[in-house]
Amino acid sequence: MSQTLYLLYVLSFVIGSIAGLVLSYKKYKAPFVTRNVDVLALVLAVLGWVLALNSPLFGMVPSYISITVGIFLIAMVLGMRPGYGRYETITGFAVAAVLWILRTVIL
Amino acid sequence: MNLLMANILLNVVLAFLVGSILFGLERKIMARIQMRPGPPIIQYLLHTLKFFIKESAFPKTAAMPFYIAITAMLSFIWVAAVIVGPVMGGSLLLIFAIYALHKIVEHNAGSSSGSPYGKLSCVRAVFSAAAELPLFAVLIIIYLKTGTMNIGSIISYQSIHGPLIYSLPLAAAMFFVLILSKAHYSPFAITKGKDIISGYETEHFGLLRGYLMISESIAWYMLLWVFLTVFIGALSPVGYLIGMVALTAVMAFISATTPLLNPNHSIMMQTTFAFVGIVGSILMIM
Repeated sequence: MSQTLYLLYVLSFVIGSIAGLVLSYKKYKAPFVTRNVDVLALVLAVLGWVLALNSPLFGMVPSYISITVGIFLIAMVLGMRPGYGRYETITGFAVAAVLWILRTVIL
Repeated sequence: MNLLMANILLNVVLAFLVGSILFGLERKIMARIQMRPGPPIIQYLLHTLKFFIKESAFPKTAAMPFYIAITAMLSFIWVAAVIVGPVMGGSLLLIFAIYALHKIVEHNAGSSSGSPYGKLSCVRAVFSAAAELPLFAVLIIIYLKTGTMNIGSIISYQSIHGPLIYSLPLAAAMFFVLILSKAHYSPFAITKGKDIISGYETEHFGLLRGYLMISESIAWYMLLWVFLTVFIGALSPVGYLIGMVALTAVMAFISATTPLLNPNHSIMMQTTFAFVGIVGSILMIM
């Protein structure tokens, strides 16, 4: 069972990366030069990392569903056109990591 | 029987996907070290899939049907490795036999194409076989230490005595160098060095190249899986993933910062590692 879930997560990552790549090439016509933060990508990254690392917070949803959705969102941002999504991914991971520490270590 | 088939299929698909993503990750890390944006992480996977919709061309110089059969053979041997390893937890000896077959396939893929680049790669594959000494040495050292070649038994041994990486660090280092020689752009990747275009793969196009790339992804996953299983022990899927990502990142760092070695230097360096590893490990066991 755990291997099936593992495959599900990997597939979610692959599909999310492809979706992110295709959509970002439509959205951004130029290479990564201006170094702006995309608000939509930032929201997706934060949501994705929080869902993947802090699935127990969403008790009403089975953990494998929240992790699958989380990985899909992470991959969408991480898989964007080279350069794009870099800052958003780091921010999303930092927020989720702080939340994880608060949830497991401090509280 | 159906359950076994499903298990094999699951593990093969997993090995292919994870192996492809790790190859993409390696290129991404290398690019970032070299201050480039680098390709997307799934680039290797996309390349592999792309070859399945490309036209397959066959060189006039190709030795048929060997030229085609060799790609199928490479796929079969690495699928067999998945069955022996993660599915059955069988003998380590079989995994290493499969690795030895991989060398023969590299050699024959190069020679069957008729391309001068392929032939050079073929010669280098024979040449680099001398550097496979660490492979057999690792096998013997593990047997001397654990008294078994069965992967399941080696895992049991480690659950009692602790990971082998602590008691056999030089053997682990030798195996690490062996995996490094299979990494793209590594200093020891002489059979696929860019000085000979794509080595033994140069004249394999379309579908055939797709199969070669699938096999390489599975091979990468399997080599990392064997390293983690034999030297650290049984891990959870997340543990394997973290271990594989960490090993790939280290190899990407080495590949990004070192040039491809001349074949003579590559072999000499690998045999030197082997000598130090074998002597050191035997002294540590005694």
